[in-house]
Amino acid sequence: MGEVIVITSGKGGVGKTTTVANIGTGLAKEGYSVVLVDTDIGLRNLDVVLGLENRIVYDIVDVANGHCRLKQALIRDKRLESLYLLPAAQTKDKTAVTEEQMKELCQKLKEDFDYVIIDCPAGIEQGFKNAIAGADRAVVVTTPEVAAVRDADRVIGLLEAAGLNEPDLIINRLRPDMVKQGNMMDIDDIIDILAVDLLGVVPEDEMIVISTNKGEPAVLDSRSNAGEAYRNIAKRITGEDIPIMLLEANEGIMALFKRLIGRKK
Amino acid sequence: MLELLQRLFGRDEADKSKNVAKERLRLVLVQDRCSISPHILEALKEDMIGVISKYLEIDEKGLEVNFNNEDNCLALVASIPIVRMKRTYNENK
Amino acid sequence: MKRDIDRIHMLMQLTPPSEILRHDKPPEIYPHLYNKGSQSKDFGKKDPQKADKASHINDDIGEVEIPSDMTILIQRTLRSGQSIRYPGHVVILGDVNPGAEVVAGGNILVFGTLRGIAHAGAHGNTKAIVAAFKLNPTQVRIAGYITRAPDNAEDDCVFQHPEVARVYDGKVVIEKLSMGGNKVSTQ
Repeated sequence: MGEVIVITSGKGGVGKTTTVANIGTGLAKEGYSVVLVDTDIGLRNLDVVLGLENRIVYDIVDVANGHCRLKQALIRDKRLESLYLLPAAQTKDKTAVTEEQMKELCQKLKEDFDYVIIDCPAGIEQGFKNAIAGADRAVVVTTPEVAAVRDADRVIGLLEAAGLNEPDLIINRLRPDMVKQGNMMDIDDIIDILAVDLLGVVPEDEMIVISTNKGEPAVLDSRSNAGEAYRNIAKRITGEDIPIMLLEANEGIMALFKRLIGRKK
Repeated sequence: MLELLQRLFGRDEADKSKNVAKERLRLVLVQDRCSISPHILEALKEDMIGVISKYLEIDEKGLEVNFNNEDNCLALVASIPIVRMKRTYNENK
Repeated sequence: MKRDIDRIHMLMQLTPPSEILRHDKPPEIYPHLYNKGSQSKDFGKKDPQKADKASHINDDIGEVEIPSDMTILIQRTLRSGQSIRYPGHVVILGDVNPGAEVVAGGNILVFGTLRGIAHAGAHGNTKAIVAAFKLNPTQVRIAGYITRAPDNAEDDCVFQHPEVARVYDGKVVIEKLSMGGNKVSTQ
């Protein structure tokens, strides 16, 4: 029996979909069977981030309404055997699926996969409620900005009200150089305010843009800093005890050195 | 360069933008976290009417209950129009 | 009739790892995809047996000729999330963007760039075609056949001339659309 994890944030644009793609790919790379579920009906994107957009025939709404079998709608990843995507519908809206249907779907997926990772839409309306309906645990993604942290706080409250206690936090797009200058909230500031467990910190990395352009998650790129952070997050999800990456603020010699080593591999 | 000078003269601690962000966030969250659902506010109103009616005759429709947040301190503000005083204290009412 | 071998090759090579896209075995067609807006009485019944029947390519239903006056004209660009479903032919004066979907019982003609999904002959008519000024679709489906753009497609492999997709020898092939030369089926 697998575990259903919902990735949510409240605010849009903090990197939920990127996080889902990378954690999922990371877990699959570790040898687990993983299915990624896009619940952002009407604004689907996970397919594009994974580079699977032109293979979609059936989607989550077809499954929920019994128009096709669950197996027909699952799309296998191009790179990893044990990674699958259940895409969202693009021509419908959030009301096309109910919370009950989501619970049932998660239950079914849990039987066949080690991890079911749900990409939650931005906002706290029906789409959010659907996404968290079948989840066993929640991960909240935020960035070191006032608006994102505020929305994360709201979402943590809603998750707790829905019975998803103690969600984990991922701080995304942290810029060590700006933290050092005192122009960006650091990890402690955010944890202090939100009072939740930290699952990982992902540095701002332009490789993410490149990997999204290509449709290849950064976690597969050994040279990407963000990719390394996501690899560690995936391992922590499986229960491995890996210390949080202490970000080197001197993005210079160290990073260059790291990249050189990475390239040699 | 400017930054270096600022650091040398030790005057950057207070106006670091991260501290501004933290402070603003803290204020916003105090407000967010104490916001009360309309359902609970309604129940509170009912109970207040019940208690106050024992002593005073009030205009129930004109009753206003709100939370006020000023200077980082939360207050319950109620405006209760009184129709008239009750002469006797009525245990049952 | 000279076929654009390279282009055909490119599109047919995509036979994918995923089982749903296998060409030798047309995927089951689910009537719900094609019912909306359809006036055909054979579809849209809730009866599971009937639905199952309709879900297989059925020549009796599939090759029904669609009269050319059963055509709608869409004079705008279809954007992501928008879809057109029509039992007859569909003509679009505009583009079909990624994430948009056109499902027609008959042919689909796009006077613009087709980047989204087009499904012609949705009732099972394998003679239906999809034509566009620029054919660069996410997927083309004709009756029960599906083809998709190749992985790692470069933009420059999209031809600048009008092209047409049709089923030929049990496969979806794409060729240059030459007016008058090869006749466009009106079925």
